[in-house]
Amino acid sequence: MSNAATTVPIGRTPFRRFLGGYGQEIVVLLSIAALFAVVGAVNQRFLSDNNINAIFAGNAYIAIAAIGMSMVIVSGHIDVSVGSLIGVIATMAGTLAVSGYPVWIAWVAPILFAIAVNAGVGALIAYTRIPSIVVTLGMLSILKGGLISVTAGAWITNLPAEFMIAQMRPFGIPSAVWFMVGLTVIAALFMRYTDFGRAIYAVGGNIEAARAAGLNPERTVVGVFALHGFFAGIAGILFATQLQVIQSTVPPNLELTVITASVIGGVSILGGTGTVIGSTLAAILFACIGSALIFLNVSAYWLRAVLGLMILATVLADMARRRRAR
Amino acid sequence: MTAARLLRHETILAILTVLALIVLANLSDKFFTAENLLNQGRLMSEVGLVALAMTFVIVTGGIDLSVGSILGMTAILLGVFWQNVGLPLPLAMVAALLCGTLAGLGNGLIITRFKVPPLIATLATLALYRGLAEGISQARSVRGYPEWFFYFGQGELLGVPFQLWLLGLLTTIAGVILGLTTFGRATYAVGANETAARFSGIRVDATKLWIYTAAGFLAGLAAVIFVSRVTTTRSDMGTGLELDVITGVVLGGTSIFGGKGTIVGTALGLILIQALKNGLALSGVKGDGTIVVIGVVLIAAILAGALFDRNRGG
Amino acid sequence: MRKLTLAAALLGFGLMSGTALAGSAWTGGDDQATNPLACDATPAAAAAKDYDGGSPTGAPDRAGKPIKVVDVPKLIGIGYFNATTKGILDAAKELGNVDAKTDGPTKANIDEQITFIDNYITSGVDGILFAANDPVAIAPVLKKALYKGINVVGYDANSTPDARQWFVNQAQFNGIGKALIDDMAKEIGEEGSFAIVTSTFTTPNQARWIAEMSAYAAACHPKMKWLETVEAQEDNNLSFNQATTLINKYGDELKGIFGMTSVATPASAEAVTQAGKCGKIAVVGLATPNAMKPYVAKDCVKSVVLWNPVDLGYAAMMVLRAVADGTLKPGATSVKAGKLGDLQVINGSEILLGAPYTFTKDNIGQFDF
Repeated sequence: MSNAATTVPIGRTPFRRFLGGYGQEIVVLLSIAALFAVVGAVNQRFLSDNNINAIFAGNAYIAIAAIGMSMVIVSGHIDVSVGSLIGVIATMAGTLAVSGYPVWIAWVAPILFAIAVNAGVGALIAYTRIPSIVVTLGMLSILKGGLISVTAGAWITNLPAEFMIAQMRPFGIPSAVWFMVGLTVIAALFMRYTDFGRAIYAVGGNIEAARAAGLNPERTVVGVFALHGFFAGIAGILFATQLQVIQSTVPPNLELTVITASVIGGVSILGGTGTVIGSTLAAILFACIGSALIFLNVSAYWLRAVLGLMILATVLADMARRRRAR
Repeated sequence: MTAARLLRHETILAILTVLALIVLANLSDKFFTAENLLNQGRLMSEVGLVALAMTFVIVTGGIDLSVGSILGMTAILLGVFWQNVGLPLPLAMVAALLCGTLAGLGNGLIITRFKVPPLIATLATLALYRGLAEGISQARSVRGYPEWFFYFGQGELLGVPFQLWLLGLLTTIAGVILGLTTFGRATYAVGANETAARFSGIRVDATKLWIYTAAGFLAGLAAVIFVSRVTTTRSDMGTGLELDVITGVVLGGTSIFGGKGTIVGTALGLILIQALKNGLALSGVKGDGTIVVIGVVLIAAILAGALFDRNRGG
Repeated sequence: MRKLTLAAALLGFGLMSGTALAGSAWTGGDDQATNPLACDATPAAAAAKDYDGGSPTGAPDRAGKPIKVVDVPKLIGIGYFNATTKGILDAAKELGNVDAKTDGPTKANIDEQITFIDNYITSGVDGILFAANDPVAIAPVLKKALYKGINVVGYDANSTPDARQWFVNQAQFNGIGKALIDDMAKEIGEEGSFAIVTSTFTTPNQARWIAEMSAYAAACHPKMKWLETVEAQEDNNLSFNQATTLINKYGDELKGIFGMTSVATPASAEAVTQAGKCGKIAVVGLATPNAMKPYVAKDCVKSVVLWNPVDLGYAAMMVLRAVADGTLKPGATSVKAGKLGDLQVINGSEILLGAPYTFTKDNIGQFDF
């Protein structure tokens, strides 16, 4: 197996090797399982179809955005403008849909726009060597201010029913969940088995070594950001089609949520390691925690403190695991 | 690394700032008045104080996303210590500041003892400290502070806002520490190459611990001034502060990869942003337009610096 | 291992402290005194009160002259404040001698709002309209405006009285509390259980309404059961997720959801719709008509309570003009507000827009904001 995705030296037994490669994913998965067991024991309704569907479907767009974010972080960069981009995408899609364009244009055009914008951002980062946080901080301002300048924050209502892709339920499961699972699997295979996927790890791990090995790091970074734009675009469409109203503003703190999901999922912020399965699991974990705290009757005033403690606990558990694995 | 090279970005930024000031002064005759400029100094003090510590943090190659939450938590504690616990207000201020400092120390400990990357550690404490602020306050505001307390946020000393004196003093101290002392050199060394710094006998962990603790302290200080300026405490105070601070610091030329940056640069970066926000508003540009301009300026300034550097080097 | 234990301990401690501290009162209300209305529609006797607003120092004579006005709402980019802006601009157009514009922060942030007002004071406006994110925090900068001779009028969310001249009150807190609770009682019965989706617990208007609702329910509908209050910022998707979680958590026990903001109410209605609980779970709340039309049309929502925010903006602008002209002086008992006619002065320095308006299937089509 390729060990590009591993964070620790490969152990002796296959089991240990597995643990080494997917340790953080396992920690997150176990946390989710524990949460379901405990909260389910307190209130059975937590385990109902409706609730599980709601947790997954309501937060799928975060998981999908986190896939692209993970790729960006693996390549050694970061994007703090993703929340603003998703707001812009949602507004574009809604505007097109109510202006009478066919729905497929309302779905596809904003995604193409997101790919183009982020490819531009990637090019700026790759060829001028400006740190990605600077460029994307700038983009955050430009997209957010630009969006309000253009729309004045007017809500988009009266969306056509066939536009609401996130509300469709093929085979009884919300389409957002299909997207989340499908895209995660595709992205995971892509990251592991394609040359481009491996190039992302190589560039994030050691850019000079990657160059020496014949890769073109600049092109890789542009490609990663374009892919990130694709995922952000899909996230934006799902975000837009979940409800009957589009707010035409930037969803508050979404970028922090997405970045947190990626890094808690085991993507090293230093680049070069991590998997998209981890980030999707982490996004699900956060969604579960958010729901679980309400089911457990945690005082609403202390909810965020508990959430913070849980994030901290996950992080520390991961650190402890890495130490022991070493 | 010569001083000239270090100051390269700062020079560009200084020229840019002067240009901006001239343009803005021409756009509105209300802009370049002593009263307006001093008032702007008052408004940027909280961000400025935190940015000083953030410069050190980023120079070490780290980041602190929790400063806004520490500000909120300290503000809440100030009110709670005074009103609910019944401490005299000066004592409550000291106790709250102490808690802010401890919050910073907590960040430092998680980062150095547990080896958690700063971004992840402070993402977690961003949620935790804000959550503590909400939980402790039970969403209640504390109001009705005595008149003397408002001096810190609203008073003037020799015609200059009190907090501007404080900001000036601390900027000087921070500039001296980062530029001229062993501690400053250690800070750069940690950011440039942590392993090398460790091998050359620099106490990497202690340095980081001090810096994150200082960030907590300054966020706490900013909280006291903020409460004094707005005369009330709320648990959502300082939300989003971290992005404003980081924008100022990176615009000031501090490299997010560590090892490079100056307090002068940070000060210039903050002044440029504040001048743009204020000057554009005075010349009739709306808030959303101003946000766009700041984004463009941020990218353009760093781009200019990068191109300049490369031409020199290449 | 030690660290793993610590992590587990942190987690456990968090859960325990959270659970142990769960309150029993209506979460989200504030501690201030409540003044519930009588259970029938007897209007409360208005206590006469002297003018307690501030006044600008050295204001120039603006009577009949063109004035420049800036409106700084809590935040820009939400339907509600778009509507108030429309009202302000309508009034300015009608008056003909007012140059009005709206500018403000993109999120409901006390610091940014203060900075906006400060900048407009410096730029030299004649009048400021505001909707405060915090009544106390905004006071110093408004006092500064008064000190500079600027006319200051609030709407939607008040400041401390001495920091502004007049406040246009869209509806009294106890009036909203009564209207919401009565509507809910009508839909779910006297023994129904309900939950609340609000913006944040620190938002003063919402906290006040929840406190008044609590007091009114205790007095007039004592058997109704409050389950819990959740925060959802001013965020559409979060509001939807929170409402969905409430529906899943309580199952058939939950009979109604209150939406406390114009964002939370349509999102709660959507959550009820998508859960297939239309008609089983009532949604009552404050909202703008456009966002609610689909749910009202499908009979999923019976009634939506709100004053008309376009009228609110319109009235605020008219009051500001009257103050600048000197026709509205301390001690006045009413003010002429253009097409709205005479508005009453209450509580010393507040102007009452009227009773809250209830949108229903029959009339919601007539409104477009």
